[in-house]
Amino acid sequence: MNPFEKIFNYQVISRLEDSGTFMVTSHERAWLKLMLQHPAAEAAFAAETLEKLQAILSEDVSLAVKEHLIEKARSEEKQVYHPLLRSLSRYITERVALSLTFSIRDGSQYNAHVGVPYKLEYSMVKRKWYLLWYNVRKRAYMSTKLAKIVSVVVADLEPQHVQRALSSIHDRLSKRKDSAVIEVMPTYNRELSRILYAFSCFEKTVDYDEDAGVYAIRLSFLSDEREYVLSKIRFLGRRIRVREGDYLRGRMLESSRKALGRYAEAAVLDADSEGLAT
Amino acid sequence: MARESFDKEIQFLRMLVLTSGAYNRQQFAKRLGISVHTFDKTIRKLKEIASASGNGNQSPEEPNKKFAGALRLNYYDSADPLLLFLFRAKSLKESESLRLALLLAALHEKPQTALELLGVCCNAPDAADRALFPDEKTIRSDLRYLEEVGVIKRVPGPRPYRYRMQDDLVRQLTDEELRDLMNFVDVMANTQVPSVQGYLLRDHLKRSSGSGCVSGVGGVSDAGEPFLYKYHYYSRILDEAHLFMLLGAIQNRRKVSFLYFSPKSDTSYASKNTNPLFEREHEGRTEQALPIKVVYDHQYGRWYMLANNSRDGIRKYRLEGMTQIEEGEAVAKELFEEKRSELEARIKHSWLIDTGRAVTVRVRFFHPGGSEPNFVRDRVLLQGQWGQIVEEEDGAFIYEIMVNGTMEIRPWLRSFGSSCEVLAPAMLRREMIEEWKELASYYESV
Repeated sequence: MNPFEKIFNYQVISRLEDSGTFMVTSHERAWLKLMLQHPAAEAAFAAETLEKLQAILSEDVSLAVKEHLIEKARSEEKQVYHPLLRSLSRYITERVALSLTFSIRDGSQYNAHVGVPYKLEYSMVKRKWYLLWYNVRKRAYMSTKLAKIVSVVVADLEPQHVQRALSSIHDRLSKRKDSAVIEVMPTYNRELSRILYAFSCFEKTVDYDEDAGVYAIRLSFLSDEREYVLSKIRFLGRRIRVREGDYLRGRMLESSRKALGRYAEAAVLDADSEGLAT
Repeated sequence: MARESFDKEIQFLRMLVLTSGAYNRQQFAKRLGISVHTFDKTIRKLKEIASASGNGNQSPEEPNKKFAGALRLNYYDSADPLLLFLFRAKSLKESESLRLALLLAALHEKPQTALELLGVCCNAPDAADRALFPDEKTIRSDLRYLEEVGVIKRVPGPRPYRYRMQDDLVRQLTDEELRDLMNFVDVMANTQVPSVQGYLLRDHLKRSSGSGCVSGVGGVSDAGEPFLYKYHYYSRILDEAHLFMLLGAIQNRRKVSFLYFSPKSDTSYASKNTNPLFEREHEGRTEQALPIKVVYDHQYGRWYMLANNSRDGIRKYRLEGMTQIEEGEAVAKELFEEKRSELEARIKHSWLIDTGRAVTVRVRFFHPGGSEPNFVRDRVLLQGQWGQIVEEEDGAFIYEIMVNGTMEIRPWLRSFGSSCEVLAPAMLRREMIEEWKELASYYESV
């Protein structure tokens, strides 16, 4: 199976634009058939739709990959589909307001908060779904785990208010942007590919100073994503150094001192217990 | 005709996306081992494909940086996988692309025979300008091709045979059901591997539903796309280009030969002669091996091929360094099975792909202080693979895992910062202390 089929050629596709022609190859059907075997399929479709799909694909052969493909260092897959995805994704496309009852970390519950849904976000790291939305009463941009949502009903809100809520989300997102410059330690330039792969999940630009042979990666991220950025920086260890970004630099210093403190304490304890033994 | 290889385009896009405009034309070309002229030609071709496929419409100046900018990840606007257009790069003569599009559009109207379709082609409005008068044989071979890739189907019945689009997926589903399908395909393509076929299917569903215009790169037309996927290694789909060839070779127990550029070398495509013995051509190594498994590493978003080579035993290759892959001879089933069980046993305890000596790593993880939820524990349970929590302490817990070597697990442990203390092996513990000392020195001069 070759993903470079001439049928996928860009000229063919662009010529068919606007004709409404739906073209699907056996490759894509084989992929779909494989995916329908995943437990997520049951949450994604009504039972009769799933049956219909299976009937449509009955003559296709499912993509044979599982036997030969291994995934490593993958987070345990707790949830790929959540029962609320179907309804919430519709509300987002239809741009309607919602009344949400949900609980927060400490367990307290918030009843019937009117808000405007913006996006459904899946964290590849936590393997969980979140609803990003604007809470009208609190005038706050929220990220709520779908698992914490108790109920959702459509609420009445003038279209211009919905629109205002959405633009306010855009404003907030752009205001909460944080950035940092990460420098690749020149002795590790040979590992550039590994380092760039690790940062490829962020918005970034790279500068290269040819004379000094130094690569500098400028990352942009939301301020509440700092913890994740930090874990990536610690992950790469001595290959990189935070050049600009006081907060991250401060936290890295704190982390390394605290970590060394842990080992030093343990060394003292070891020495003590040895002392007792003799 | 030789199979068209997209090695150059793949290496090119990978470098463009990863380095995000770090290099100027000369630097870029030098690293790919191509001339600046070839660089310019390649970028022209890719831009043409990208804009025809719906992404990017940049001005011709400063091709490198602008194009890199257009392909840059922009999280809240990037519902469409930007690199998908690579898979639309297969070359086609203009007359052929026109003919295939005419045939498909005609079959979309109603089922037809080869002769009827020939008429459609010859009567097309601009057929004359483009010298598009195919003969019946050409139409028949097109139909054979389309049937082979599963886009059309022969309608049961007597000769002359009629063909129809195999588009039951959209025809038999209601609009509501199609919406569910679209969402499902989106979620699965983004959260599972492999994903290229899923992205192609998503694109085709979207185009047929009329919302065909894919949002412009860097534009703000993100309305209506409900899903976002956080911390996604989106360039991984470039490496999927080779995946299916390798999976096919494994399925058929065939060896593959390829030109390998270790990702640690400075050039990644084909380069100047550095060794006079090899005359010219390249600095990559020609390799031959029997592929046994393909591994996707979620930690870095990279792909590996694990293979067996009669001389060296188990060999590991990064897919990003493999070019000019060719299938070779098949091996006996017994031999393949033997090598496969050998490999499976050797990687059983690989955090990623290390086949070194197995050691037990013992680590103390500290609970975050105060009333915070125990996210350290949650993360260890989520990402700690087959490791176990073996002891609970006051404010901490002990985690143990048997792994091949300590190299691959080390970054993960380090990412926990001071919430993690390595207890054993002693060597790893010492290394961690050294690393933290060095890291502290990076920041102490603030």
